[in-house]
Amino acid sequence: MSIEIKQISKRFGQFQALNDINLDIQGGELLALLGPSGCGKTTLLRVIAGLETPDAGQILFHGEDATDTHVRERQVGFVFQHYALFRHMTVFENVAFGLRVRPKKTRPSEEAIKKKVHELLELVQLDWLADRYPAQLSGGQRQRIALARALAVEPRVLLLDEPFGALDTKVRKELRRWLRRLHDEMHITSVFVTHDQEEALEVADRVVVMNKGRIEQSGTPAEVYDAPATPFVYQFLGDVNLFHSRVHEGWAEVGGTRFAAPEAGDKAVIYVRPHEIDLARNASNDALAGIVTHVRLLGATVRLEVKTDAHEALEVELTRERYQAERWAVGDAVWLTPREARVYGA
Amino acid sequence: MAGAINNTPRSVVTTESRPVRYLLTGLALLFVGLFLVIPLLSVFVEALRQGWKLYLAALVEPDALSAIKLTLLVAVISVPLNLVFGVAAAWAIAKFEFRGKSLLITLIDLPFSVSPVVAGLIYVLLFGAQGWWGPWLSDNDVKVIFAVPGIVLATVFVTFPFVARELIPLMEAQGSDEEQAAMVLGASGWQTFWRVTLPNIKWGLLYGVILANARAMGEFGAVSVVSGHIRGLTNTVPLHVEILYNEYNFVGAFACASILALLALVTLAAKSYVEWRSARLALEDQRNALNDQ
Repeated sequence: MSIEIKQISKRFGQFQALNDINLDIQGGELLALLGPSGCGKTTLLRVIAGLETPDAGQILFHGEDATDTHVRERQVGFVFQHYALFRHMTVFENVAFGLRVRPKKTRPSEEAIKKKVHELLELVQLDWLADRYPAQLSGGQRQRIALARALAVEPRVLLLDEPFGALDTKVRKELRRWLRRLHDEMHITSVFVTHDQEEALEVADRVVVMNKGRIEQSGTPAEVYDAPATPFVYQFLGDVNLFHSRVHEGWAEVGGTRFAAPEAGDKAVIYVRPHEIDLARNASNDALAGIVTHVRLLGATVRLEVKTDAHEALEVELTRERYQAERWAVGDAVWLTPREARVYGA
Repeated sequence: MAGAINNTPRSVVTTESRPVRYLLTGLALLFVGLFLVIPLLSVFVEALRQGWKLYLAALVEPDALSAIKLTLLVAVISVPLNLVFGVAAAWAIAKFEFRGKSLLITLIDLPFSVSPVVAGLIYVLLFGAQGWWGPWLSDNDVKVIFAVPGIVLATVFVTFPFVARELIPLMEAQGSDEEQAAMVLGASGWQTFWRVTLPNIKWGLLYGVILANARAMGEFGAVSVVSGHIRGLTNTVPLHVEILYNEYNFVGAFACASILALLALVTLAAKSYVEWRSARLALEDQRNALNDQ
């Protein structure tokens, strides 16, 4: 089912949580709302669910106005950040809850409920935990039970608030792949909120980057990563080095290397990712001279911190093989050349 | 080997020397004995001083029986009232944001901070013959002061904070995520309350009710002001004890007092059980949370 969000605004006291948000979510899409904390992403998710009322604007579910539909009638599945499992109910009763609270006319029989719950528990691969209580489960198990519970009511939309936020790195990676596979099987329109760019880029069909209550950019993971629309998106999607430059006849310059800056005025800000910088031992007029001040081994990559005269400390990332071949050490003189860059007007 | 070490877990590093330990423990035990155990025992010793027969006779005597009945009646009315008020107030304070919230919290605490005698006087000023609503009440032949309704009102006032105070921190700690989850799943407000909120607070609620009940049955000051001490009519057990004692009927006084003391002991036992239950549940939660790390 498609969702249209039209000119939604929401204010909490003095704080503008959402500012004129417009967004179309396609049926069957897996969409990520990405942004730093306080950017309004969770508020937007809660507005879609009906847990918050917008001050202005409209929400359409499948073309029908759902702005004033009570959360109870919206038929959404919501997975809370801390799962919000009913602590005094077994896993089975948690998943059955949405079916049991239905009015008598539409409530399935006890047999049907049993069958449905076991189907869902098998779907999340936790059928053997049916008689346990939430307190007896691990974080990853709780997360999957919360998902099964949300799916039990056959929602038209699945909304997940920081679904992997409270899990450790390894479990998180497993679960997000699992969620992606689940979505590919079920094709239910899903929206999840995250502050982790890696998670958004890996799992989602489309990423919506938010900042200060506004949407900065919306696009496929490749689009937002390769062609960030704003400096904010560029900075948020990975580490960056930042250079300031004057613009001469449409060209900005970093240490002798020129970059086209057609849209900038007479000053430009140039962003370069740490892995987009080349290093050399030989002095060159077209390169930035610096001295290696730190070497950090980060598994498959190595990160050097380089102090230059004109700029703040720069970060350069290179593969481990290259690092071992070139044997960089603290105190080495180095000449840097940016390979790629994004130029924005300052 | 390991077992032998575990049998004496006290570490030399973190304890005081032996004499200091004995001195501090001894002092604590002396105080407990002097101020808690001996008075409690003396109540039962005095009550039974002249034998079981007199003890039982003092309890089944008509005035004593009517005092016991009245005390039970007052508890039966005021405890459920407080239960409903307390749950409603705690629900409102813990789950919603509204103007005047801190004022409401202060008001709920008022009965704790006001002397019970003053609480009684308030009702005399409102409902008494010379009070604000006194003339209207006597015109319509409704008796509040020096009658059962006044005693109930005073008791409700005095016991007001117990349930709410117990529930507010508990409900605040639990947050409203589970209620929201229930709502998204299609539960009505009523279903959410019965199936989600109430089971989550049941131990805290029980604890509050036990305390409120103990206070309702034992309240003296506020009830004394509004009751009028009419034997067989408006005397509760604590008031009856006082009257008997003032008449030098020590066996009767202590016999009735022993009922209140027994009530206190039962309350304590119930309270410890509830505390033990909820502490065990909390511990389980904590242990499982640790296992996740």
